[in-house]
Amino acid sequence: MADQSEKQKMMKDNNQPATDEAQDLRAQTTSNEAAGMSRREVLKLTASAIVAAPLLPATTQATQRKAAAKAPAPRFFTRAEFALVDELTELIIPTDDHSPGARAAKVAEYIDRRLAESFEAEPKQMWRDGLKLIETISQEMHGRAFLQATPDERIALLTRISQNEREPKKPEEKFFVELKARTVNAYYTSKIGIHTEMEYKGNTYLKEFVGVDAT
Amino acid sequence: MSLIQIKRQRKSDVNLKQVYDAIVVGSGAAGGMAAHVLTSKGMKVLLLEAGKKLDLDKELKSTEWPYEHRRRGEMPPDAHALIPNEYTIRQPPYAKGLPHKHVYSYVQSWGGSDYSKNIVVDERDHPYTGTNYAWVRARVLGGKTTIWGRLALRLSDLDFKAKTHDGYGEDWPISYADLAPYYDKVDLYLGISGQKENLPHLPDSIFQRPTKLNFAEVKLRQGLKKMNRVLTPYRAGVTTDGLKHNKYRNRCYGRGACNRRAGGCDIHAAFDSPTGLIYPAMDTGNLTLRTNAIAYEVTVDKNTGKATGVAFVDAETKKTYEAKAKVVVLAASTLESTRLMLLSKSALHPNGIGNSSAHVGHNFCEHIMGPGVAGLVKDLVGKPHTLDDGRPGGFYVARFRNLTDRHADFIRGYGFEGGSGTTMFPGNAMGTTGFGANYKKQVRDYAGAFISMGAFGEVLPRYENYVDIDPEMKDAWGIPVLRFHYKFGDNEKKMAKDMADTAREMFEAAGIEVVGVEREILTEGWSIHELGTARMGMDKKTAVLNQFQQSHDVKNLFVVDGSSHVSASCQNPTWTIMALAWRSCDYLADQFKKGNL
Ligand SMILES: Cc1cc2nc3c(=O)[nH]c(=O)nc-3n(C[C@H](O)[C@H](O)[C@H](O)COP(=O)(O)OP(=O)(O)OC[C@H]3O[C@@H](n4cnc5c(N)ncnc54)[C@H](O)[C@@H]3O)c2cc1C
Ligand code: SF4
Repeated sequence: MADQSEKQKMMKDNNQPATDEAQDLRAQTTSNEAAGMSRREVLKLTASAIVAAPLLPATTQATQRKAAAKAPAPRFFTRAEFALVDELTELIIPTDDHSPGARAAKVAEYIDRRLAESFEAEPKQMWRDGLKLIETISQEMHGRAFLQATPDERIALLTRISQNEREPKKPEEKFFVELKARTVNAYYTSKIGIHTEMEYKGNTYLKEFVGVDAT
Repeated sequence: MSLIQIKRQRKSDVNLKQVYDAIVVGSGAAGGMAAHVLTSKGMKVLLLEAGKKLDLDKELKSTEWPYEHRRRGEMPPDAHALIPNEYTIRQPPYAKGLPHKHVYSYVQSWGGSDYSKNIVVDERDHPYTGTNYAWVRARVLGGKTTIWGRLALRLSDLDFKAKTHDGYGEDWPISYADLAPYYDKVDLYLGISGQKENLPHLPDSIFQRPTKLNFAEVKLRQGLKKMNRVLTPYRAGVTTDGLKHNKYRNRCYGRGACNRRAGGCDIHAAFDSPTGLIYPAMDTGNLTLRTNAIAYEVTVDKNTGKATGVAFVDAETKKTYEAKAKVVVLAASTLESTRLMLLSKSALHPNGIGNSSAHVGHNFCEHIMGPGVAGLVKDLVGKPHTLDDGRPGGFYVARFRNLTDRHADFIRGYGFEGGSGTTMFPGNAMGTTGFGANYKKQVRDYAGAFISMGAFGEVLPRYENYVDIDPEMKDAWGIPVLRFHYKFGDNEKKMAKDMADTAREMFEAAGIEVVGVEREILTEGWSIHELGTARMGMDKKTAVLNQFQQSHDVKNLFVVDGSSHVSASCQNPTWTIMALAWRSCDYLADQFKKGNL
């Protein structure tokens, strides 16, 4: 597995993401369990994921604003953008009764830090434009800013821009793919993601690998 | 922050006035083995390694959690690792036109290329030209063995006598019986984990404790049994029981690190050349190591045409030096040894040293990759997460094509590497669509239920597939670089189609739900198993080396890496590279003592 997965991890990906990094993240989709599968051919597994959109955690805008004011200034995003990203990432991976979500895992902070230091103009522009687009669509759909919209309205917006996740065409659809890739990467590499959500038991010295006896 | 620790060479360490018994160029699998065997026979050896001596433990940091690293294992912003598309769309030299300070040849992934960035080469310094080729190189003490995937397989007479079997190409000048005792030596000296299967075409090693298969893998193994195909636990060049004779290595503690980084085991349970071969060789007192020494020419005696030593340039100071020896052993990896031979032109060797046959650089072969399958084992959905990556590898499916039957569309065969189960980063997280609580639950419930495998197939050696020296381009040290003329052919493409078909068929036979089949072929070079550019053979008109990897033209020149392979087979090459090097160096030492070199 070691050799194959390291090499398969880099499988060519048909959707051209905006940034190298996003592509890396997505190439990695095909790494371990999913090695060898290009997304366009991925079948049943994912069809149902989108069906039931989650309820928002009950965070009022007031407390959000308060928290944002206390937090250290973001390095790449404006404070307003940061609050938006924070909410978007939490909508993608929310707190549920199993574990805390993206907000608790400080996903927005990680995305902000990586974008701030990025060497390339392209991803930065994509995020600036993408966040603006979210606001434009929110105005168009609901007549208010994203963070002023109701939980249902926010979900409706995300549902719309995530429709063509496998073959994103419109700019907002492409932005969703980028937003989600970074969110997923940051979340599942966080303490909360690894230990609380996935309950990963490895990265420790084992006496023996507990498998099934094949003989 | 630099973690590199270079052991500075003191002048007294490396005496360049001395005429060594042998110079070995390169310290990977092949060079490490040559150094081990020759020093154990009492020969005084100078090992020239182009790269640095890195403190690998500090580089790999394999138990570091992603969140302990400020970029979760990814490279700093001024560095860029080539992404798959860059290998297919752009022409080499790949770093050209990119704004980054460093461009690395090993593709960035979550696996954490920040840990391998000091190990793999920077394309800016190491360009090449010609056809697309993903040429991954590791220029450090130990070469690619510092990050290799450690699948350790033997070849059989189905490979050594492939021409006899199907009429294509050339047979090797040796048979399995010649090499079997040396495979045994490699097994015992370095340690290998695996399970006996008694397959004539995939001979067993002298195995230490195998790693176990998990539920999904056993299901597949049982399904394949009905088809007369064999899935066996990953045969890993890893010591699972320990090696009493080697104080530099530990037994495998299954920490799950194998599958997390770009290879690399920092407790050295997995074989790497420094701890497995070079440090023990240094302990004999017969080995002198010169790192940062980039060989650029094999020097020759104007009158006899024999090798007199090696000219090299210091990687840091760019000063040039000449080292002298009675025998020169090239082990700089397949393509680098080839480059060195082609660069070593002189009046008596106008085409490059050892190249009177004009075959150096030709018959270039390797493995083709890409096709594979991913599947879902329903019984495992929603089950508590087990620990599945605490082992050196998952499984290997032995070749089953063209053994006794004959496939209508192609000759030779392929095997599959695969694995299943939960890993630290849920492999399905990126591919699962949607968002919200449902997405999150789906990732959680399905993370441990996937199984996948990808094929490695034999690429036929063809004279028209070759490398030569680019007339203009030079590397950062002013050394002319390689130009590739290399493409997969028809046999490979037909084989690739069959790989995808059989992959699906096998999962279905085992009752595994197929969720994706990959049919596309990865760029040439992807397997990192380049071979064949200075092949062995009886006939000096069509072969560069004899059966002992000794140049037909220059009797004190040996080339002990994968460039000597006559065909690629479909099994990964490293264990064979080492068994061959051991055999040839035994012969070399014997001939040296007899004064025949
Ligand atoms: C990620 C990865 C996974 C792999 N997985 C597997 C696997 O599972 N199974 C398998 O069998 N194989 C695998 N391989 C391939 C394996 O690593 C190689 O087959 C093996 O290392 C080849 O040994 P070598 O000595 O020929 O070359 P290398 O290990 O590359 O060593 C060559 C050495 O020569 C040095 N050198 C080069 N040019 C010069 C010069 N001009 N002067 C001085 N020194 C020079 C280099 O710096 C290097 O240290 C893998 C490789 C990689 C990168
Ligand atoms: S699983 Fe074993 S071989 Fe792999 S990195 Fe860990 S100790 Fe080394």
